[in-house]
Amino acid sequence: MTLLVVPLAVVWLGAAVLALLDGRRRLVGWLAVGILAVNVFSLVALGVRVSEDGRQELVTGNWPSGVGITLAADELGVLFAVLSSAVLLVALLYEVLGGVRTRTFPALVLFMAAGLTGLFLTGDLFNFFVFFELSMIPAYVLAVYGGERRQIGAAFIFAVVNLLGSFIFLISVAATYHVTGTLDMGTAAERLAGAEPASVMLIAVGVFVAFGVKLGLFPFHFWLPPIYVGATPAVAAILSGALANIGAYGLLRFGAVLLPAELELGARALVVIGVVSILYGALQALSRRDVREVLAYSAIGQAGYILVALAVGGRVGFFAAVVYAVVNSANKALLFLAAGLRGWLVGAAFVVGAFSVAGVPPSAGFFGKVAVFQAGVAEESIALLVLLFVGGALSFVYMFQIYQHAFWRPEAAVGDVSPPVLRGLTLGLAAVVVAIGIWPEPLLALSGGAADLLAGASRGGGP
Amino acid sequence: MILLFSGVVAVLFGTGAFLMLKADLFRVVVGMVMISNAAILTLIGSGLSRGAAPIHPLPDERISDPLVQAMALTAIVIGFGVTALLLAIAYRVYTSHESVDLDELSREEVRREQELEREEISP
Repeated sequence: MTLLVVPLAVVWLGAAVLALLDGRRRLVGWLAVGILAVNVFSLVALGVRVSEDGRQELVTGNWPSGVGITLAADELGVLFAVLSSAVLLVALLYEVLGGVRTRTFPALVLFMAAGLTGLFLTGDLFNFFVFFELSMIPAYVLAVYGGERRQIGAAFIFAVVNLLGSFIFLISVAATYHVTGTLDMGTAAERLAGAEPASVMLIAVGVFVAFGVKLGLFPFHFWLPPIYVGATPAVAAILSGALANIGAYGLLRFGAVLLPAELELGARALVVIGVVSILYGALQALSRRDVREVLAYSAIGQAGYILVALAVGGRVGFFAAVVYAVVNSANKALLFLAAGLRGWLVGAAFVVGAFSVAGVPPSAGFFGKVAVFQAGVAEESIALLVLLFVGGALSFVYMFQIYQHAFWRPEAAVGDVSPPVLRGLTLGLAAVVVAIGIWPEPLLALSGGAADLLAGASRGGGP
Repeated sequence: MILLFSGVVAVLFGTGAFLMLKADLFRVVVGMVMISNAAILTLIGSGLSRGAAPIHPLPDERISDPLVQAMALTAIVIGFGVTALLLAIAYRVYTSHESVDLDELSREEVRREQELEREEISP
């Protein structure tokens, strides 16, 4: 039980203390790294416990169940929590090694870690919203971090669009409470299954819009490219590798567990939106020359794969969505970090990320692509398979086009060589991506557990 | 009562959305505030009930739902913090661009893009 509280409490208290200290000092930076490392390791321990003993639950304040606020950890939540915190840890390490530029940076990263950990481990709808905001607000501030002049305008639009998404989500939470009379996710799922379909559909649309904005899906993506292009490498890695997980997790949790009937009803529309996202992202990425711009549009395209897999549904679809979300966030973190560096072996790290996005074995991306294709086969739609293939082929083309453009041209080699520690860190992350590809068992087992859980919930009408 | 709430919420949300489409940053912030208040009113409206305060409820007494009040309070605090943050970012935009007009900012952006393209054609 303490395992549920430790990861959350450590980062939360740590963030509150570090907010008072000057983050530019090395000691404070390393303290933040240490706190975040404790968070990651306790989450891993929690993950091991969950995969052995099943779902862990804790009702705060010793209230009877149904009255108090629940913290709950299952395979899905733990997987996303470990992933997001690990990406945050790498990005924070990158920034501390390279020199933090503002006093608030370490504290903000810790606040975001607290928000994300809480969001993935909560079993309560309203707390989900609170943690959601707790992780978004540091993102609005970080978006301005170390940026140029024009970055501030992009950050404003980022904040406004995402706030609109948050408030639409809040309205959906209120509507869920009105319809079901509870905020507990498990109970709400049971009661939503028997509620009036018209009002539940409205809730489903609100939830989809809110998480679509977070994930940067096609019609909601306009805020995304300017913010990713202007941000520093560490911040871009945080936004695309950790924060975007909220969107994927939210769609999975709400779509498959709380609103399974509506997910099935809207499956066709979701497939269309997903495919349009894939093609739009790939074609836009193909036409760009700036590395970070290509990666930003690629992020829109990759989000489309997650949505398509989710819409296919069933165990195979949910499995694909989980694996793809995990692999994609590792890829994006690696690529954004590598894109900010220059020097020997940086190209190698970048090319590993590029291989992974394109789905070439032995990188982690291979298993993501395989899982999505399995979902496409399960859907028995040739058009979908062809479109998935075209999307994959396009990603291969744009990743290597930009690799050539960024690393092979003689003009690209100018500029200072980055410090060896940063290159080493990025190379280490690349090694992790390859390691997942060579030994995917832990990832596949956890994702399989999460998919079983989601498929069971959506078939039974409630967990 | 629910009808009244939903009417007010609709007007607030509509006005907020209209203001958010304006080019002036401060109007956008005010629009955001109105939308956040629409969401808070929806929260209160989702659990409308008449009755005594549920401090020590008697078995045969009607009580009002305290949960929505607690949620609304939390949402108000979040909305307040977010508004302060948005105003701060808007101020940063003003100090660095000397303008709070989004059209102006995007014109500047287009100019920059064109310069970049020109550099690429003739390096």
